[in-house]
Amino acid sequence: MFKFLFRKEQQVQELISKYLDNLRSTQEHFEKAMDCYFDFGLGENCDFLIEQTHKFESRADDFRNEIIEMMYSKVLIPESRGDILRLLESIDLIPTHFETVLFMIQGQKLKVPDFITPDLRELMRVSLECCELVMRQVEAYFKKTEDIKPLVSTIDKHESRCDHIEREIVRKIFASDVEPFEKMQLKELVVQMGEISDQADRVSRSVYIINIKRRV
Amino acid sequence: MNSLLGGIFLGWSLGANDAANVFGSAVSSRMLKFWTAAILAAAFVLVGALVAGRSGIETLQGLTQFTANQAIIASVAAACTVTLMTLLGLPVSTSQAVVGAILGVGLLNRQLNFAGLEKVVVCWVGTPVGGLVLGIIVYKLLAAIANSMNLNIFQSDILLRLCLIVAGSYGAFALGANNVANVTAVFVGAGMLNLSAATLIGGLSIGLGILTFSRGVMETVGKKLVKLDPFSALVVVLAHAVTVHIYALIGVPVSTSQAVIGAVLGVGIIKGVNTIKRKTLLHIFLAWFLTPFVASLFALFLDFATHLRYIPSH
Repeated sequence: MFKFLFRKEQQVQELISKYLDNLRSTQEHFEKAMDCYFDFGLGENCDFLIEQTHKFESRADDFRNEIIEMMYSKVLIPESRGDILRLLESIDLIPTHFETVLFMIQGQKLKVPDFITPDLRELMRVSLECCELVMRQVEAYFKKTEDIKPLVSTIDKHESRCDHIEREIVRKIFASDVEPFEKMQLKELVVQMGEISDQADRVSRSVYIINIKRRV
Repeated sequence: MNSLLGGIFLGWSLGANDAANVFGSAVSSRMLKFWTAAILAAAFVLVGALVAGRSGIETLQGLTQFTANQAIIASVAAACTVTLMTLLGLPVSTSQAVVGAILGVGLLNRQLNFAGLEKVVVCWVGTPVGGLVLGIIVYKLLAAIANSMNLNIFQSDILLRLCLIVAGSYGAFALGANNVANVTAVFVGAGMLNLSAATLIGGLSIGLGILTFSRGVMETVGKKLVKLDPFSALVVVLAHAVTVHIYALIGVPVSTSQAVIGAVLGVGIIKGVNTIKRKTLLHIFLAWFLTPFVASLFALFLDFATHLRYIPSH
């Protein structure tokens, strides 16, 4: 009945949904770009997918700026406003990590040795699963579709698995005959890929804390 | 009309100061525009004064007999006390200042209604205690309701804002009902106004204070409430409004600020935190005893001063 009074809140809610949809598209393109890189190495196709990922990442920034602008036009109480803006900033670091990984591969023309490719694929798979769960958790928080607590522990388990894979890959790299300079490059790539699940875990914890904070 | 100016001034300053207790949290956190809050507060203060302000006036006018001159002295003495205590930085209660001034006049008349006075003093003690108890009850009740509703952040914010508007309007109603007696009761006692005119003039003068001079106080005092958290601020506004309304029904004007402090303490007990500094509590107790005493002295002094006659020496 009073919907017309809270039009701005509805608009912010819609924008957040669009932002999350865009994040999914960024993730899809990142996954395709990485698969393309693992299967065929750098090339036209891979460059196109990296460019697409970059476009979606930029669009996420536009959505975020639009949300911030709207939030400051007196939408929500200041405490909630601060919580949501901090949460969006934290979520936004996930596509930034996607982009950094792809630019690192593209800019440094990295060649991944075969002996670590399956592990890197596994690291990517678990990291992206982590991201999917985080997006589900964020959506669940905003729409109250499901309990977010079980998701926090699942994401935490995935993040631990990623840490384990990350350590294993780094160990394999330094145990190999690869040139020392390349070892450092590969290690940086692995650490950067590991950051995706770390960031997803940070977002998940933020959502959990914001949710607890609002219980009275 | 000129003789009512002291009372109107008192009502104006009361409105300017006490509106912060009802809409301060909503305005200072920018959940509500100042003018929306001010118009709502002024309107509900007037409604409260007209609908439920009579019994407080009857209690205060029954404390002693007034002449027109004494009514003016009482209202000016109360206004001076409020000003002095504010300058000293003590949390002053207009209700206590008015009753103190009436006592001063009563001492001069050698006619005090002790039964009425006893009721007033008991209610003074009961105000922060009532605020505290209701703060705890309202918190528990609202928390149970809020936790049982599966609302998302947008829905709960919208609900919180609506509740703050409703609780603030109710608080303004209670303020008008309870505190209108402070403004015009002495004039009813002196036969200068009838009850209807007293509630109307009192309500209008408090409303005028809200509309013209409450912005600064709302934005500064309100921030102290917002520091709690929005939900606790709502609890405080609602608990203080219920407390003040109960005393309006009993017919004793009380301090809205003391009801707020009681409610803040109640929230603090529930949350297990110190919401109010010990120094603030000490100041409240000091002001509690000082305000009626100083107001009585002012009333006695003003009465004495108005009776001085210049006798030229030959």
